[in-house]
Amino acid sequence: MKITVPAGSLRPARTTTVALGDVEVTLDDHDRTRPFLVLHGGGGVASVRGFANLLAERTHARVIVPTHPGFGGTARPAGPATTRDLAATYIALLDRLELADVTVIGNSFGGWVAAEMALLGSPRLSGAVIVDGIGIEVEGHQMTSVRGLAPAELAKLSWHDPAKAPRPPAVGGSGPSPDLAALASYAGPAMSDPTLLERLRGLDLPVHVIWGESDGIVTPEYGKAYAAAIPMSVFTVLPGSGHLPQLETPEELLGAITDLGN
Amino acid sequence: MKTSLTVTRIAHACQLIEIGDLRIVTDPWFSESATYHQGEPLAYDVASLGRVDALVISHEHYDHCNLDALVAGGFDLATPVFGPGTVTALAASKGFTRLHTIEAWESATLGELTVTATPGQHGVHEVTFVIKAHGRAVFFGGDSLRVPELDEIPARLGPLDLAILPVNGLCIRPAGLAQVVMDAEQAAALTAALNPAVALPHHYAFHSGQLGDRIITRGDQDPRHYTDALARLAPHVTTRIVLPGTPVTVP
Repeated sequence: MKITVPAGSLRPARTTTVALGDVEVTLDDHDRTRPFLVLHGGGGVASVRGFANLLAERTHARVIVPTHPGFGGTARPAGPATTRDLAATYIALLDRLELADVTVIGNSFGGWVAAEMALLGSPRLSGAVIVDGIGIEVEGHQMTSVRGLAPAELAKLSWHDPAKAPRPPAVGGSGPSPDLAALASYAGPAMSDPTLLERLRGLDLPVHVIWGESDGIVTPEYGKAYAAAIPMSVFTVLPGSGHLPQLETPEELLGAITDLGN
Repeated sequence: MKTSLTVTRIAHACQLIEIGDLRIVTDPWFSESATYHQGEPLAYDVASLGRVDALVISHEHYDHCNLDALVAGGFDLATPVFGPGTVTALAASKGFTRLHTIEAWESATLGELTVTATPGQHGVHEVTFVIKAHGRAVFFGGDSLRVPELDEIPARLGPLDLAILPVNGLCIRPAGLAQVVMDAEQAAALTAALNPAVALPHHYAFHSGQLGDRIITRGDQDPRHYTDALARLAPHVTTRIVLPGTPVTVP
């Protein structure tokens, strides 16, 4: 039977009471938007901004894109903070925003954060999409170290067609950028957690694992291991795409996310 | 004069059935999880439920047998529970004390109330029910598949005032899209066989979350498919699509 109801049309209205000084207003909130949380990788928020906009425009969704604290000139957490701490921070963010039925989408390091969020078991999160994520350790399919690589070499590993890679802005000064310093502090020197793969085996949330077929940083085999560890997962390979499908093939990535199951 | 019969959906398959002054709650579900959403507002929470004379529970799945939420909400554990052995064993473990185990075609009576289990089929052991009191009779279909034996109900148990049926034809994606709940067409065909005065669809707004609907479950969320099919197959049966919290009085 064909399901003819538009997505989300039978969602409940939430009834809340808002106190405004001496007056209390009771309201029904008919919110048909489906919330997404989009998490960037080491490339910073700029690497997902365009895709987040596309997702919001096409699906009429609410798309929330945080900048990981410490990236893009924002303040780093006061104390030491791991990837797991960052995941807990974002669950607290969903609580603060009172969002429900959230799907978290994360690319690269953001995919690792998405996996850690899923493992926290919050009822606010109803699914995760891991796009060329890092964080697990897979025998025989190690993540390619990107430390000290020239931009051209990094582009070759990250893009199916390196000619499409944007030219990195000329940055003054020397030493690692604040973004890389923040990434290193969350992800640790190995950029992975040896316990993650095993912990994923107990995950009871639906997860869509999507991989660029030409990803030279974490290969599709690595992606397959990511998906294989998660009981309720679906694995999709995107042809003609590398480590950053949201930049290289945004339409195809959107299609993979929204067409699943049709 | 007939005893009054009113049904109010609390959400999903959780219904408050009132026959005279008897208040019966079916398949309780009062919480939400990451991949189980009612998809419609809850008409009552445990605290606002008021007096309940009996719980009638078809099977032990979370969205039909949310005993933890009842216990947490301070529900009276001395409330009689009617259900198959799988349910009453679980209820006993949660501290419920008055348990009536009934399997298909077995009945239990408590004062004016008689609950008869009727056949059912689902991903786990499930029964459906005919609930009778004060001369009124209600079929409660839980979230069963359509099984042929259900067609025998009028012959074995007499005419029905009301039938409540699931209609979403839920399929489980990881199980090769195995169907575990009757769909709108099957529910309408069963309604024609049961021939009640009034038939109400339930168990359709449920969803597994925006990603879960694509990975875990597939269900028809449109109850109009049922009312349309019923208009074809049994046009004399009165049906209505009702929102949670709206009482329907059966004449």
